[in-house]
Amino acid sequence: MDALTYLFSSWLQPELLALTAIGTFAGIYIGAIPGLSVTMAVSILISFTFSWEVNPALALMNGIFMGGVYGGSRTAILLNIPGAPAAIATALDGYPLAQKGEAGQAIGLSTVMSFIGGMVGIIVLALAAPAVSEFAIKFQPRDYMLIGIMGILLVGALSGESLAKGIFAGAFGILLGTVGLDPMTAEQRFTFGTVSLMNGISPIALMIGMFGVSEALLQLHHLQKEAVKQKIDRIIPVWRDIKRYLSLSLQSSGIGVIIGALPGTGGDIAALMAYDHAKRVTKNPEVPFGQGAKEGLIAPESANNAAVGGAYIPMLTLGIPGDAVTAVIIGALFIHGLNPGPLLLMEKPDMFWFTVGNLVLANIFMLAFGLTGIRIFTKIIECPKAVLFPLILLLSVVGAYSINNSVTDVWWMLGFGVFGYFMKLYGYQVAPVILGIILSRLMDDNWRRAIISERDSLGDFALGILTSPLSATLLAIIVFVLFTQTRWWKARFGARTEAPVADNTGASARQG
Amino acid sequence: MLKKLVGAVALSMIASFAMADDFPKQDLQGIIQWGAGGSTDLVMRSVAPHVEKELGRSIVMTNKTGGVGVIATQFVSTQPSDGYTLLMSAENPQLYKIMGLSNLDYANFYPVNVLARGVPVLVANKDAPFNSVKELVDYVTANPGKVRMGSTGPGGLPSVVGAMLSSKLANFKVTAVPFDGDGPALTAMQGGAVDFMPAVLGAAVEHVKAGRIKILGIFDEQASPVLPDARPITADYPQFESLLPWGPFFGVFVKADTPDDVKAKLVSAFKKGAESEAFQKLLSDRGYVSMNIAGDEANAFLKKWQSTTSWVVYDAGMGKKSPDEFGIPKP
Amino acid sequence: MQDQHTVRRPGELVFTLILLAGSLFLLWQAYGISGFSSMSSAGAFPMAMSAAMVATAAVVFIRLLRLPGPSQALLRLRTEILPPAVVVFSLLILAYCVVLETLGFLLSSFLFLLSAITFLQGGRFARALLLSVIAIVCVYIVFRLIFQVVLPEGLVPERAIMAWLHDLFAARN
Repeated sequence: MDALTYLFSSWLQPELLALTAIGTFAGIYIGAIPGLSVTMAVSILISFTFSWEVNPALALMNGIFMGGVYGGSRTAILLNIPGAPAAIATALDGYPLAQKGEAGQAIGLSTVMSFIGGMVGIIVLALAAPAVSEFAIKFQPRDYMLIGIMGILLVGALSGESLAKGIFAGAFGILLGTVGLDPMTAEQRFTFGTVSLMNGISPIALMIGMFGVSEALLQLHHLQKEAVKQKIDRIIPVWRDIKRYLSLSLQSSGIGVIIGALPGTGGDIAALMAYDHAKRVTKNPEVPFGQGAKEGLIAPESANNAAVGGAYIPMLTLGIPGDAVTAVIIGALFIHGLNPGPLLLMEKPDMFWFTVGNLVLANIFMLAFGLTGIRIFTKIIECPKAVLFPLILLLSVVGAYSINNSVTDVWWMLGFGVFGYFMKLYGYQVAPVILGIILSRLMDDNWRRAIISERDSLGDFALGILTSPLSATLLAIIVFVLFTQTRWWKARFGARTEAPVADNTGASARQG
Repeated sequence: MLKKLVGAVALSMIASFAMADDFPKQDLQGIIQWGAGGSTDLVMRSVAPHVEKELGRSIVMTNKTGGVGVIATQFVSTQPSDGYTLLMSAENPQLYKIMGLSNLDYANFYPVNVLARGVPVLVANKDAPFNSVKELVDYVTANPGKVRMGSTGPGGLPSVVGAMLSSKLANFKVTAVPFDGDGPALTAMQGGAVDFMPAVLGAAVEHVKAGRIKILGIFDEQASPVLPDARPITADYPQFESLLPWGPFFGVFVKADTPDDVKAKLVSAFKKGAESEAFQKLLSDRGYVSMNIAGDEANAFLKKWQSTTSWVVYDAGMGKKSPDEFGIPKP
Repeated sequence: MQDQHTVRRPGELVFTLILLAGSLFLLWQAYGISGFSSMSSAGAFPMAMSAAMVATAAVVFIRLLRLPGPSQALLRLRTEILPPAVVVFSLLILAYCVVLETLGFLLSSFLFLLSAITFLQGGRFARALLLSVIAIVCVYIVFRLIFQVVLPEGLVPERAIMAWLHDLFAARN
């Protein structure tokens, strides 16, 4: 009975209701602007709210988290600049949709799917949190490494013109991820002795440059061409469409919750894995993936919002952060005099139920705010290119600068923007580079941890994988996925005609 | 005449900026060496509001992470020495020289306040075949290299405590598996990836209370009020006394050549801010030992810390350069 | 679709050669980290990745050699790869980033927006001026004032101005 009171306390108190709404609204825009991150916003709020009660502070933070994860899809669809790494996969099919004049529909669909994903995450949090966190904590370094490998297999699907170019781009991304001071040995890798390289290369700077800046440069090829007129009917998806994609959305949400609940992975990896999953299970997409397939939008958007609920699972049950944002929220709880840990759930069950109820509320606000004002947003891409591109560049520079308050990231962004421009022109895809830099540490660090634990014995390492049910299952999935890529399998079971993956820009640039 | 007037105005402006009477004339900038959500970030963001009240200006805080804090330290050292840019940092700069990361350390800065220090504890997986430091030592000696210890990169708390253990105990050989920090390592230990590890008390305490991990002992000379049952390591192994008390710390620094009156204003503001009840409660809840020291007292502490740790790290083979090169004395 | 193209694109050979050379350089650098010391060394992973880059870049290069070169390569390079608009715009961005710290965010961004918009729309200076001012005010409010991102100050003494404004209002109340 008590649980029910706490569950709805944020619905009934006008103050909490308003704070959640403000948080969600702000979150959408924080998420949408590249360089501004939810982690940063929540961290600023710690000083700002420290004299408040804990619940109002939490309401604001929950809202920002929920809205922020969703907000990243906005700029990904409209400008091809993912607002945050979790929206990278969204750009792959969302931006081509916008180029066809279906930005409004894409935003509408991704909003509804984010809502569904968010709800699945919260339901799992409410019903199965202890079980899921016990499961998540069982993951060993070798299992994280296997998850990294599962993620990197996506390179095969993102290769574009030739597999060799895809592997090159992927390996380059992984290599970029290793630049800097190695956290395990304090060895300097590819730093050439400079301090500014010790920090490594920011994935966000790389992302803004390779996606956003290179795209703006490519579009300059046909400056004179009128911007695509956006269709603004059917923004809110019809029930029939939702029903059709519901199964995929739920599967993706499942991936999202689990990956989100793992303490070593977050929404960005969840979204990429869901994209990969969608590509594999969708037999006959209406439009090929990479050219504006709805499935390619639905899967990552469901998964990354489901990962929000997932991230709260280990945080609320064990005091272990599920990702960077929940790490900051744990800090905030400390400042408010709580002791987040395994005992919190028993000592203060109200906290748990308050958070669950509040997240539902934030999710509803996200749906409401997300579906209003889409028309105005689609106008952005209709504005003249001569004005749009300088503004995109300004935003990219400020965004890159804000990552770490340093001009170094601006230079990286610019350099990768130009490099990405040439890559796209010569038939390389930029997505595998970003995939690589995101998965790099996950694979490198955990491979080394795993092999160090076995005292550098490959035999023991292999034995460890085969004898652990969890690792063996993950390995089996990888083998299966690789197997389905073989010609034999495709000839036998491949109903779909393997559509070539379009690079969403290079092609049109050359035709122009 | 005009020239004179302009000169006088300019002079008075410069003077008004340099005069400490009305320091601070504008908002301060706090450069946090570690990322959002880390313990340094947390401590700084929770002390800042109290200090802002004393100063009457805001402290705009910025996380400038990377290279175990080298980037932030380097940045502050290139800013004007006017007291408007604060370095909010942890113990790491004291090891930069021997790790070959930078030529800076806290000798280049003035300690406005060393706020608190953490106490290391030794904790183990709840199924591990040892229940105290003594049993751990016996077990490790009997099974050299078999026991996996959760660690971090060189210079992190678990790696330094690990090095101290192997330097003071004969045949203490473990397989150290490095993680990104003691938080992630504690999580991995609960999943069974490692058997035991040194961690800072505050990070481990809630998991110990819940019985998810067990505490073997406290790496200090006295028991802690937060976990009174944990036995100090010196009770069984008095040879550690020469190294203790040891622990990570948090401090606020300005450049060494900042005007004295500005330093004095900052020191008094931070002292009062750190004394606030809310901040002290936060520290004790997390198991940190409040220090709240500045100036010479803080410098003495910093020197001792640097000498102890540098030599332990260097002798364990984790350092790149000998502390001798920089005139760091042996403890 | 551009699946298997049959003619080399202008500049493609040079680009691939640069990639190959760069990969070889990175492989050499990766070897320098810790050599072949152990499987868990810091250099193991970078070496494997740079080796993969060298191999794939070589494959792409060899395939390219088999294709006929483009006709009128230089002309097509100028129209298809580096049209004037791209070159000028890139130079403007470059200049913007160079002066970002010395001039400060406000001044450099203003100059960049003004010149870039004027250039791209081929005149209409007044419109460009208006748009630049609006854009910069919005960005300044969102980033500097709300999210407290300390943008490079440069020549404009922002903090002193803000403090002065603050004192002015504080004195009134």
